[in-house]
Amino acid sequence: MTTNSKIGKKEFWQSYTRSCTLDASWNYERMQNLAFGYMMVPILKAVCKSKEEMAKALKRHLEFFSTTPHIVTLLVGILGAMEEANQEEENFDESSINAVKASLMGPMAGIGDSLIWGTLRVIAAGIAISFSMNGSILGPILFFLVLNGVCFPLRYFCLKQGLRWGTDFLYTIGKTNIMQRVTDSTAIVGLMVIGSMVSSMIYFELPMLVGSGDFKQPLQEYINEIMPGMLPLAAFAVMYYFLDKNVKTTTLLAWVFVLSLIGKYLGVL
Amino acid sequence: MDSTLFQSVMLGIIAFFGYMHSFMGSTMHNRPIIMAPLVGLLFGDLEKGIMIGATLELIWMGAFPIGASNPPDMVSGAIIGSAFAINSGQDIPTAVAFAVPIASLVLVFDNFMMTFYIPFLSSKADKSAEQGDFKGVERMHLLALLSTKGLYSILVGLGFYLGADSVTKILSSIPQFVTDGLNVATGLLPAIGFAMLAKMIMTKRLMPFFLLGFLITSYMRVSVLGSALFAVVIALLLNFSGLTGTKEDVANDNEF
Repeated sequence: MTTNSKIGKKEFWQSYTRSCTLDASWNYERMQNLAFGYMMVPILKAVCKSKEEMAKALKRHLEFFSTTPHIVTLLVGILGAMEEANQEEENFDESSINAVKASLMGPMAGIGDSLIWGTLRVIAAGIAISFSMNGSILGPILFFLVLNGVCFPLRYFCLKQGLRWGTDFLYTIGKTNIMQRVTDSTAIVGLMVIGSMVSSMIYFELPMLVGSGDFKQPLQEYINEIMPGMLPLAAFAVMYYFLDKNVKTTTLLAWVFVLSLIGKYLGVL
Repeated sequence: MDSTLFQSVMLGIIAFFGYMHSFMGSTMHNRPIIMAPLVGLLFGDLEKGIMIGATLELIWMGAFPIGASNPPDMVSGAIIGSAFAINSGQDIPTAVAFAVPIASLVLVFDNFMMTFYIPFLSSKADKSAEQGDFKGVERMHLLALLSTKGLYSILVGLGFYLGADSVTKILSSIPQFVTDGLNVATGLLPAIGFAMLAKMIMTKRLMPFFLLGFLITSYMRVSVLGSALFAVVIALLLNFSGLTGTKEDVANDNEF
């Protein structure tokens, strides 16, 4: 925030709270458009000089919008700074506001979705589930704290940086490959966690007995000697294969139910 | 007020609280790992609620909103599933057997609202915007939220109220192999969730990291948290040595 900006503490915190509602009116036509308009109102109220300017700005921000809710404040900051510049500077190119919005929401969603939904949520759930499985209240509490302990400060930081960067952001980011580096790093963490969960959180065993006489023991024991978690890995690979062939998840769900029932009925599982 | 009615109202309130997560910072307290324990608390069996939550969370691990795809409605599924299971003294697989189809069913309804109803409100917001009337825009956003989420919450309460008695009767006459089969399915279902997640981020180049995570847990019993910490160190090391952020086919002459 520059010192002579019209976007003061009040507007900052109003934008912050309103950014928390980004997914509340999601729709198929323009996705988060209503929420985005709602979110921009405090800043627009502060910077717009006339009702006509307000109308133009509101229409701009009711266009199609989609990005990860937890980091949207970065864009709110950048666009807020641009809206102010638009009102103050005479030869400001108005169409650049929508251009920046449209060009940033995609990459931001790419990073944000894999960072928040794909990695952070998975880690939080992974840690929490190990507690919840044993009926410990720590499970739900940890899930909430790990996740939101990161997300709310991140949301604040993004808004601050966004307002500071304004239009310079595109220029800075374009010169480095930081986007790809962040995506790669979060993917590494995400994938290792998923691998670890495949091994410890899928339960699939073959209890049937093999061998004869005194050497008779469950098939599962042999499998465990070769590679513990081999069957969960196989189950994962099968699901991955079918998803890759564009089989719907609901179809897969139904098959798992049906095959499990048949397997139990025939006594092979 | 009889107890079923009271429970139904409370379930509706829990549902509303869950749905409001998208109004409170997308905090994800709509996830089953938090919703199911709340239902458990209401029915006086917190521990079972927590365990149902863990199982449903695993099953829906791959379910989250991304771009234009919406996950099953976990709030209604988790709440009604846990409520039926705990209320009729059944176990975790029963909760799963109700939760999964209910969540998919409610998504169909939700999709209908998000295709027709909310876009209708958003066209009304356009009209306000043309007048520079920001209050009109704000109203439509809040109306979209409160009317849809309120309606779904009532459905959750109503679903339990109408189904509670008959469900308990049906459940007591189910043969053993069905219960056991559901148990097997419950253990297997997370595989779908993990596959959906992996599909989103897996590339050939990054696949070894998936296998590494799997192997250290399988052979060395490293916990999920431990695995995550190892992964952070590996990612840092690779960043320091400049090995991330490069695509095989794209030359990057901007770096350094």
